[in-house]
Amino acid sequence: MILDVLRWVGYGIITYFILMQLYLIFLGLMSAVAMRRTHHLNRFGRVGDMLSSQTSPPVSIVIPAYNEAMGIIESVRSMSIVGYPRFEIVVTNDGSTDETLQRLIDGFKLERVRIPYRPDIPTAPVRAIYRGRGSVDITVIDKENGGRADALNAGINAARYPYALCTDADVILDAKCLVSAMRRVVEDRQRTIAVGGNIRPLNGSKVELGHLIRSEVPKRLVPRMQVLEYVRTFLASRPAWSRMDALPLVSGAFGIWKRSAVIAVGGFTTGHMGEDMDLTMRLHRYHIDNKIPYRIVYEPSAVIWTEVPDTLRVLKRQRIRWHRGLMTAVRDFLPMTFNPKYGKVGMVTWAAMFLFEFLAPIIEFTGWFLIPLAFLLGALNVANLVAMLGLALGVGLMSSLLALLLDESFGYFNGPADTARLVVMAFIENLGLRQLTVAWRIRAIIGGKSTRTWGNMERKGVANLGLEG
Amino acid sequence: MNGTQIALLAVGIVFTVDAVLLLGLITLKAVHRQRMESHDQRRSAFLGVLSRRVSFPLHTDYIDPKVVNDGAFLDAVIDLRNTMAGPEIETLAGIIDRYGLVKQQAARLRSRFPLGRRLRAAVVLAEMGDESSAPVLIEFLDDREPEVRIQCARGLGRMHHTPAIDAIIERFGQESPWVRSRFADTLVGFGAGAVWSLLAYVRVNHDHDEGNEAVIEAIRILGIIGERDVGPALIDLLHRFRDPELKIAAIDALGYIGGPMAVTPLIGFLDADDWRIRNKAAHSLGEIGDPLANDALRRGLEDANWWVRRSSAAALAGLSEGLEVLHQALHSGDLFARDAAAEALADCGELGRAREREEQGQATDADRQLLGFMTEGALVP
Repeated sequence: MILDVLRWVGYGIITYFILMQLYLIFLGLMSAVAMRRTHHLNRFGRVGDMLSSQTSPPVSIVIPAYNEAMGIIESVRSMSIVGYPRFEIVVTNDGSTDETLQRLIDGFKLERVRIPYRPDIPTAPVRAIYRGRGSVDITVIDKENGGRADALNAGINAARYPYALCTDADVILDAKCLVSAMRRVVEDRQRTIAVGGNIRPLNGSKVELGHLIRSEVPKRLVPRMQVLEYVRTFLASRPAWSRMDALPLVSGAFGIWKRSAVIAVGGFTTGHMGEDMDLTMRLHRYHIDNKIPYRIVYEPSAVIWTEVPDTLRVLKRQRIRWHRGLMTAVRDFLPMTFNPKYGKVGMVTWAAMFLFEFLAPIIEFTGWFLIPLAFLLGALNVANLVAMLGLALGVGLMSSLLALLLDESFGYFNGPADTARLVVMAFIENLGLRQLTVAWRIRAIIGGKSTRTWGNMERKGVANLGLEG
Repeated sequence: MNGTQIALLAVGIVFTVDAVLLLGLITLKAVHRQRMESHDQRRSAFLGVLSRRVSFPLHTDYIDPKVVNDGAFLDAVIDLRNTMAGPEIETLAGIIDRYGLVKQQAARLRSRFPLGRRLRAAVVLAEMGDESSAPVLIEFLDDREPEVRIQCARGLGRMHHTPAIDAIIERFGQESPWVRSRFADTLVGFGAGAVWSLLAYVRVNHDHDEGNEAVIEAIRILGIIGERDVGPALIDLLHRFRDPELKIAAIDALGYIGGPMAVTPLIGFLDADDWRIRNKAAHSLGEIGDPLANDALRRGLEDANWWVRRSSAAALAGLSEGLEVLHQALHSGDLFARDAAAEALADCGELGRAREREEQGQATDADRQLLGFMTEGALVP
């Protein structure tokens, strides 16, 4: 009896894993269909015409900065030359304890001013506001520390334009990213309340003075694994969700938000470890509850480059934080899960997030113990075990290869050596690294004080990213 | 076949699919690389040949007629066209004509090719801006594919084909916001030639029940073009509009168009019930910069809505006597009005000038007050 239970639980776990991979493959195929059109527009269309258009809606670029003295000047400079007809930069110095503010004051000839700042979203107290005297249209909000979400809220309060690009201080914007993303806004200004962009790891690439000179896949395993993960997420999953009008997440590193919509739902939630997902889902809920037509879209050709954790220690902290954020979101939006009132968002997206993101580490972790136990007790024979594990590995590999194929078709970022490295990574990530991330997510579920803090990201700064080691 | 055999068969199938995907990836990589390198080489070669043919009309470099099907040749033609001016364009047009490029691209547009190829044909015709392609481009303003329609309008704009203005405006209301915004760019490019057709469109279509987005866009274009002659007609329409969004668009456009005739009507709108209309009126008065608006904008600093106060302050900064009013507003009992005045003084450069005067020991009382105000106290209550 126990052996039968063990055998069927083992089959169940493997079936769950295969179903999850098939779901990823389905998303990948749907993403391919969604991206075909974008691909044609990028190749032959003239999205760049918006660059010279006087009718393009203006954008506020909001950058939260906490102890970013090392790279803040390069970051802001690189953002200040992004291709777009009209934008302002709003940097929020979130109570930095280093020289972030002073460097900004010196670098952009800031002068202290008073502006009619209106706290539409409550934040930690604002100490002072500075405006640039130079050629860059920059406003710096100096406030007491309140965390990333609080800093973003202060930036949104101070933003003068109807759309705010919320990003990070350690990213490099691709020259066409703002045009590509804002194109989606212009398509339907009335309904578009958020646009997400395609985030790619910057580690290992050649960067000079805040500009990406040459993109390369990092040689180190930890950031390389993340390149593969980002490709899977941003090319083989988000386009599909966007096409279904049920995008669950506009990533924090690049999200264009309609200011009035963000203010209507109270801004980013301070102290939340997944404030981007939380805001996306609250916007869905608010608009569906109030029967307001809306759309939240993803634009794969809006590319930004960001620094990802370089070591297992930092990656662990990040993954624990992400999973804690997911857990909080799953709890907060549980009433939306499998709720027909919320349409595709409740019945498909959030249901899938619950089944394949939230439950995945629990089921996989259980499998690590139960399947070997079933094998040792004779409930599974060698052939069964090999077949099941081979199937799981093969289907997992399939979703990675499909994502790489999409990257090759629509991305063009990788040279032959880079692609070879990513293919090798697709094979070897299943031999330890993936399991490690599952263990970290279990650690996040167990909780404890150390899992409730953001921790230090330990960045090299965008100017030093080419220096691996 | 038992369960294990089925599972092993499934494993075989899955790994076969993996192998196919891997092979596909390798092939795609190789093909992409080779295609890109070859394309760049051919484009450079075509650029060289075409450049010689344009510069020296008697040059006899041979160009195979079949190259009109080659994307590298089309790119070279476009590159060259975008760097030329005057008689060189005509020489290039002659070469293009000899190879039947326009006819060939028009045939592609008419074909049932997939989107990518048809879109490319539309882009080539738009970029070349050859007058002979105008009828084709007008024909394809009704294409099923929005991007093709956009490129056709763009091409007509590039060649400044004024008979196309009405054709573009005619389709304005039926288009999606994206296509409409790109059509708007084209119409802006036509300049004064487009204003009367746009005004007629606004006259006929305003305040229809099905929404006014297209009319608002048309009014916005009128503002960007900034032709003063349409001012009186727009003011007349402004008083007839019922939709506040239309009023806001017209007030905004009048700010761009400028001229003294708009000042009095705009001052009147500073008393409108809708704060958005008051706000836009203040903004537009600032754009026009007529001192007649001074008193009205001073009252705007005491408006019930803080956006209106902010816009009034910004507008006053552009008026001859406005700076004095703003300095006085620094003593206002209303925190937002004070901060709005301070922001306006900083944005118009008065703060920088005050600082310079202070450094030179020539600061006035008003300068010292301004500098002191900028650094005093907490910002938000």
